[in-house]
Amino acid sequence: MRRYNPTREISLDLLTLVVLLLFLLPILWVFVASVRPETDITGAGLIPTRFTFEHYEAILAKRPFLIALKNSLIVGVVVAIFTTALALPAAYALSRFTFHGRNFFALLILGTQMLPSLAVLVPLVVIIRQIGLTNTLTALIFTHLALGMPIAVWMLKGYIDAIPKELEEAAQIDGCGRISAMVRIVLPLIRPAIIAVGTFAFVLSWGEYLMALALISKSDVKTLPLALQGLFDPYSFSWGQVMAGGTIIALPAILLFLIFRRQLVGGLLAGGVKG
Amino acid sequence: MTMASQDTLRPARAPAPLRRKLVPDRFLPYGMIGPAVFVAFAIAIVPLAYAFWLSLQDWYMLRRPTPVWGGLVNYRQLLQDGALWAAFGRTWIWMVGTVFVELLLALPIALLLNRESAIARSASALILLPWVTPFIVLGFGWRFLLDSDVGPIHGFLNAIGIAGDSSVLNDPVLAFTTIIFISGWKGTPFLVIALLAALKSIPEELYEAAEVDGAGPVSRFLHVTLPEIWNTIVTVGLVLGILAFYSFDLPWIMTKGGPQDATTIVGIAMYKAVFLDLRPAYAAAISIVMLVLLFLASLVVLRARRKV
Repeated sequence: MRRYNPTREISLDLLTLVVLLLFLLPILWVFVASVRPETDITGAGLIPTRFTFEHYEAILAKRPFLIALKNSLIVGVVVAIFTTALALPAAYALSRFTFHGRNFFALLILGTQMLPSLAVLVPLVVIIRQIGLTNTLTALIFTHLALGMPIAVWMLKGYIDAIPKELEEAAQIDGCGRISAMVRIVLPLIRPAIIAVGTFAFVLSWGEYLMALALISKSDVKTLPLALQGLFDPYSFSWGQVMAGGTIIALPAILLFLIFRRQLVGGLLAGGVKG
Repeated sequence: MTMASQDTLRPARAPAPLRRKLVPDRFLPYGMIGPAVFVAFAIAIVPLAYAFWLSLQDWYMLRRPTPVWGGLVNYRQLLQDGALWAAFGRTWIWMVGTVFVELLLALPIALLLNRESAIARSASALILLPWVTPFIVLGFGWRFLLDSDVGPIHGFLNAIGIAGDSSVLNDPVLAFTTIIFISGWKGTPFLVIALLAALKSIPEELYEAAEVDGAGPVSRFLHVTLPEIWNTIVTVGLVLGILAFYSFDLPWIMTKGGPQDATTIVGIAMYKAVFLDLRPAYAAAISIVMLVLLFLASLVVLRARRKV
């Protein structure tokens, strides 16, 4: 293990590639099916020979799908902005101040992370129904805040902890107020983390299914996961189109996650697993 | 601490600054954390409390539009609801099965990826794909792969004799087994990443010492690696178990709880109680029972942690 052995390393690398390929095969197949002509998907063997973008053209010409795309973007972006705006000051307070109830508040925020949406589904749906907010993006946005906010607080706190307090103290001696010291000193230093946290909240909201299913039934407020289901339900549907729709949903999530992987993985492990 | 150092610094400045503070430092942290705490209250504490209150109401929406006090009526019905307890039974199998598949896949993959080569490093990024791909995409993707007309994996299962002419998703036992496997596959990357972090933090000296003592690869794994990653396995296993216990998306998207209730785990039973049977109070009672059972199970699991 510790002695470098080229043959051993190369064979382990090959094994890694094979395992990885097998592990990701189901997802790859979705992508591949989305660019094959329908007749090839249903009858022409496993190896793709002809490629086409007709499925993408077909679903991007469907009004319900486009409306859902717009709704998902609105919900995702608003959730990302609100999650960051809520988490940043909270993380700063937890990192920089000692105050009564600090541990209680930290526990409360982190505790919501461990609470799956299903556990609060029934009461939330009843409450939202009673205040008349079913079939609104507002209600969906509000419930989606729960998805990313706790982990956002935890991740940002970690980054702020790593910045020496002396920097802000120096700024305060120079006449900065507390908040302006935070905005001018801390904010620029943790900008990558803030972007990562916002992205994360966006990705979680983008693919969220349960709350959308429970709260939304009208087609003009449906989000992408519901629209994908809509592609499936009619009597005749095209596998190619369903897979193309799936790819449109999966791709932003996968790409954004891979780009911000370094920031996100650390936060995920710290937030989710800290025993 | 910050406030103290700031105060001691203050006399060093000659004239006190005339800047008036809108919010004294004492209240500032509350103002900063307040909005996040409010949201946490509104989406966690309030719904949980409301669920408890709701579970004590008698509310069958077809009969009456508003809830009336029912005491323990829902809990009494719940105890006699055979279909629901069958769903709870399935949920334990589902949860244990999912975590088992996750461990079975993640442990060898993590050991394989715990190397410094470029391929191992890119692979530990790409391995995350099932974890970040939304359930809706995976659910439909797997329905495609297992479809009896067009699905390539159905073709494979058919060739090796597991599936007949119809898809495995139409057979109660096979459908449940298959979806448990898919559920485990989706959760595996999270465990792989956690295990990798734990493996990388094992001090090299432990292995060297074991080697000096003449331990072979198997005994090094059993006596050095496993004890060092045990707590990670238990903690992450618990997190993944909780997620599995509260599963809904995958079995709902793939089979809507069928065939013949075979994949109706308790999450689906609860969803149906609200949206199909229109009994929100009963569903609230189910979610309270779920919380209590999960809390008890977590206490048992956490006892398996090694005391360091």
